[in-house]
Amino acid sequence: MTVQASNLESEHLPDPTGAPESDIAKIAGKSPTKLAMDRFRRDKLSMISFTVVAVYVLIGISAPFLVKFGVLDPTGFNKELVDPSTGGLPIGSYGGASWDHPFGVEPGTGRDVLSRLLYGVTFSLTIAISATIIAIVIGTVLGIISGFTGGWVDSIIGRAIDLTLSFPQTLMLLALSSMGVATVAKFMPGGESDNLPNGAYVVIVLGLFGWPGIARIIRGQVLSVREREFVDAAVLIGASRRRIYFKEILPNLWAPLLVTFTLTMPAYISAEAALSFLGVGIIPPTPTLGNILRSSINYSIGDFMFFFTPAFLIMVIVVSFNLLGDGIRDALDPKAAR
Amino acid sequence: MFAYVVRRLFIGVILLIVMSLVTFMLFFLMPQDPARVACGKNCSIAQIKQTEKALGYDKPALTQWVDFLQGVVVGREYPEDKTLREKAPELISDCAAPCLGYSRVNQVTVASEIKEAFPVSLSLAVLAFLMWIIGGVLFGVIAAVTKGTVIDRGIVALSLVFYAFPTFFIGLFLLKFIAIKWGLVDVPSYTTIAEGGIGGWLSNLFLPSLTLALFFMAGYVRMTRAFVLESMTEDYIRTARAKGLKRGPVLFKHTMRAALTPLVTMAGLDFAGLMGGAIITESVFNFNGLGKLVVDANVSYDLPTLIGLVVLLGAFVIVANIIVDVLYAVIDPRVRVA
Amino acid sequence: MVKYRKRLLAATAAIALAAGLAACGGGSDDKSPDNSPTGDAGAEGAKGGTLYYYIYAPYEHVDPQRTYVGVELTNFRRTIYRSLVAFPISEDADVANTPVPDLATDVGTKNDDATEWSFTIKDGVKWEDGQPITCDDFKYGASRVFATDVITGGPNYLLSYLDVPTDKSTGLPIYTGPYNSSPEGQAAFDKAITCDGNTITYKFNKPWPDFPLAVASLSMMDPYRKDKDQGAKSNYQMFSNGPYRIEGSMWNKNKGATFVRNDNYDETTDSTDIRMALPEEIVFNVGQTTETIYDQLIQDSGDAQYAVTSQRVPPAYYSQIVGDIENRSVLVPSPYVDYLVPNFRRLTDPAVREALKVATDAEGWINAGGGEKAYAPAESIVNPAVIGYQDNPAFSGPQAGDPDAAKKILDDAGVQTPYPIKFTYPQSDTADKQAAALRETWNKAGFDVTLDPLGDTYYDVVQQPDKDSDVMWAGWGSDWPSAITVTPPLFDSRPNLTANSDGQDYGAYKSDEFNKLVDEAANAADVDAQTAALQKADEVLGKDVAYIPLEIAQFYFLHGSKVTGYMNTPASSMYPDLGPIGVEQ
Repeated sequence: MTVQASNLESEHLPDPTGAPESDIAKIAGKSPTKLAMDRFRRDKLSMISFTVVAVYVLIGISAPFLVKFGVLDPTGFNKELVDPSTGGLPIGSYGGASWDHPFGVEPGTGRDVLSRLLYGVTFSLTIAISATIIAIVIGTVLGIISGFTGGWVDSIIGRAIDLTLSFPQTLMLLALSSMGVATVAKFMPGGESDNLPNGAYVVIVLGLFGWPGIARIIRGQVLSVREREFVDAAVLIGASRRRIYFKEILPNLWAPLLVTFTLTMPAYISAEAALSFLGVGIIPPTPTLGNILRSSINYSIGDFMFFFTPAFLIMVIVVSFNLLGDGIRDALDPKAAR
Repeated sequence: MFAYVVRRLFIGVILLIVMSLVTFMLFFLMPQDPARVACGKNCSIAQIKQTEKALGYDKPALTQWVDFLQGVVVGREYPEDKTLREKAPELISDCAAPCLGYSRVNQVTVASEIKEAFPVSLSLAVLAFLMWIIGGVLFGVIAAVTKGTVIDRGIVALSLVFYAFPTFFIGLFLLKFIAIKWGLVDVPSYTTIAEGGIGGWLSNLFLPSLTLALFFMAGYVRMTRAFVLESMTEDYIRTARAKGLKRGPVLFKHTMRAALTPLVTMAGLDFAGLMGGAIITESVFNFNGLGKLVVDANVSYDLPTLIGLVVLLGAFVIVANIIVDVLYAVIDPRVRVA
Repeated sequence: MVKYRKRLLAATAAIALAAGLAACGGGSDDKSPDNSPTGDAGAEGAKGGTLYYYIYAPYEHVDPQRTYVGVELTNFRRTIYRSLVAFPISEDADVANTPVPDLATDVGTKNDDATEWSFTIKDGVKWEDGQPITCDDFKYGASRVFATDVITGGPNYLLSYLDVPTDKSTGLPIYTGPYNSSPEGQAAFDKAITCDGNTITYKFNKPWPDFPLAVASLSMMDPYRKDKDQGAKSNYQMFSNGPYRIEGSMWNKNKGATFVRNDNYDETTDSTDIRMALPEEIVFNVGQTTETIYDQLIQDSGDAQYAVTSQRVPPAYYSQIVGDIENRSVLVPSPYVDYLVPNFRRLTDPAVREALKVATDAEGWINAGGGEKAYAPAESIVNPAVIGYQDNPAFSGPQAGDPDAAKKILDDAGVQTPYPIKFTYPQSDTADKQAAALRETWNKAGFDVTLDPLGDTYYDVVQQPDKDSDVMWAGWGSDWPSAITVTPPLFDSRPNLTANSDGQDYGAYKSDEFNKLVDEAANAADVDAQTAALQKADEVLGKDVAYIPLEIAQFYFLHGSKVTGYMNTPASSMYPDLGPIGVEQ
């Protein structure tokens, strides 16, 4: 994430005096951002998890192009690679692994597992990122308004947060799914069984139930930021509300937002998988890590690798994002315990 | 104190009412016809109309909501039809207060469905809770004490890995391999204490509870570890150690007490959420708890059951929040004025 | 039709692997192990023990007038619900499709044009509380079918057959069931079904020559005790007149139930040709997934040794069914046929439909769905188990699809290619693969295929007259073994096509020639004439390409090693027949 407002960043840093004196002496003259980056780089675990996340993101971005240019083939059948007499199990050991299909082929269809997994990363990440962005946008806007305005606006938003949190999220996602997808489909190209409405439904509902926690965090941050002089100054010179919210306050929130983002992503990647298990979300043949795992359940005993691989990929990205989030938080706030 | 509790309760009730209203709006403003789904595949328009009337779906959503609230307070009867009451009273179902609705799919009141499913979810929640609290605190302390060693890293990494694997993968793995393939335990199927004794009850609950506990444990391990580490640097701990107190007593008497409050808060909310049913775990193990009830109701489009459950689970969360808030107020009197 | 569950489709198989069966002995022959003393426990076919029946999807209804799913009908017919007549236990279709007396003294007498049927009820037949089963109980049972607002989900043939006038404004009969009917309606109904002592007479407004088949197949004509009726509340209540009764009186939708002996059942009023009632208890266990069920059946330990299931082996498990396990499996054709329906509103050019038929790769569809253990080829929409079946000449021959020939048909007719078509089907992992297989040859023949997988509301969508699908998937099984419950309900445009819905005529097929043959069949007073007319009607459908048969779903089942007398009979819709079944002890 790039940072523009260079002179304002210091505002967010909680209690810089917490760092040992010797450190301060050594790295004097560096900006707080630079300090944080240095701390982050020094932490091996953070760097590893950052690399893993970066690899996943790279896969996610490049997979559609690789599919387009025919390098990956997530939907093409290879009937000659599965044995109809065994109900379509792949021919050969390790799930039919070969030079052409390093992760083997899917039972029944002979589709290339590696292609499906890589392309699945694209869709899993897209869903998680979209839902995270919706949650963060709503949470941030309401958090800023609530924290800055105070008064009755604050209490209304506070009650809205309580209300949203009291809904059982998974239940709502499941219960609203059949009607919800149909509703979403009305506003989108494609029918109820297309990927767009199914994916969009998950994204929207995850986002709509995900903002309250973020709003609370942001509100807390805003409460401290609004006492700063530059905000007073902006108010005094008669800056508009919108300007104060988005030009003065928002740039000071990037640190908590970054941490929130990296910690919300893994939750939504897991949520996508869990919802796939319940039959909600993008449906095959378009792959997501969740629906690949779901379709491999039947083969848990017959073709264990096929069952294990998608689960493993989900585990790795969820762990990495969590560690990355922790690492970023610690780098920004060295006093926080690890 | 009394006034505070009353005020929190009042807000909680308002919140519940608003939540039920939002729920009704969400379910009834969607462009799908519940009566059509309830009537079945080979239904004529006339039959659909009849079904609609019998189910009360012909009334506006707001009226249905008012009827629902009234039912919760004074009970109601299904269908509400005075002439039928006289002619064929055996067709009327009574639903005593607090009436959460009547499931036409299962032909029982929602309350009795819940009464049947609740012990399952509660048993699961209690056992899982004990497992993860004991396991989480124990491993958290061990990790903190052995900070920086292989044991510490191993505990933290493993708990994170279990957390990051999708729950249904862990559950299915335990079911398919531990129970079925390797036959280490029987295939779990819920037995009440009355049916199978404490032993039968526990042994059948073991795998599903373990699934849940493995998921929740990670948070508690990390939290316990962090608190123990943090408080070990506090002055009073240093003092206690300096006085010559042994490490063990210091750890448990002084350190843990500080960590207990946030742990109990987190545990309370997690437990309340889990009482509302573990949708995925119950589905994987085919335990007919509240979570499975949700899935089944969703499949058969059992709207009254879904709505009743949403409101009930919302109530759990709200009540849990009130209890936690009140506990806080007891511990820290400053909260009361806030 | 006996409802064909979509989820069953996901899996299975061809010729009976009768290995494990031969030893178990047929049920329809003369031996009656039933009569042997309970003392010789352990011997095959002896009474006693507990049978487990694993079910995945919950039963929506167990009320006899509301039950409409084949496997549920047969399970209850063999255990709890007796009727006037029933199908005997036999693997021979001719025997199994001929009803024998059950609660009635004979198989019924009809008048000359088959518009009136009478049955006499046996003496000494009782309900589970010891009260005798009367003619009024039968009449009351039939009356419930008319309460279409309360008793939903069941077959409603009686509404159109029974001689009760129709209310012009609603299109429904003026009799609206026992709960709140008008006096006129009640009077009309009382005239249509009459009781004379122990003899019940049904009067129909058109001939119903195979009425006993309907009585035996479906439970809509079963007796029902008025004092036990609580309308919709009775949906999961079971009041028995058979060898078993339900423990605790209510079926638990998501758990199932346990059937125990009914003390008021007198086996001398029954025949071992219909039910032997060997197990002491039958436990219906609902809710485990197909995979978990098969994990346990393959492992064959604990309760699973005594278990049967109505779930088909999922293709993922085929490779595990080898050696000894294979001896516990059966592979039999189901009574269902899956087919494609061209939409006649859109594919108006006969050449296009013909080309579509020629290019259809039914073999590819079968292989993608699991191969020969999942499906057998079909040559008509009528299942071969149906009385008077014959191959439809339009669909015999190789089924791999011939895109070149199809392309030629399109070119000769001057159809511009690529010709865009949209194929609609109910979504499932398997169906997606199968649809992709069909698309391959269709595209080669000059079509440009869009796949359109739909969710749970599948039938709602394809029933809409304004759908934009060109080809649709559908599945069907006969309600009783007569083609009159296959082609007419699916292709007779008159009852099906209305302004709001295409009914079951999803392709909006409309043919006077076909309808005339249906009338001929409906008004035939004997079964042979009816069959002949229906065979001709099927030929018309083939000529017009009103449908394209895909396959006959195969039933591939596994059962526990200690189950005895395991059979899949036409009487049980080819599901495990609970009539002759028992367990080793």
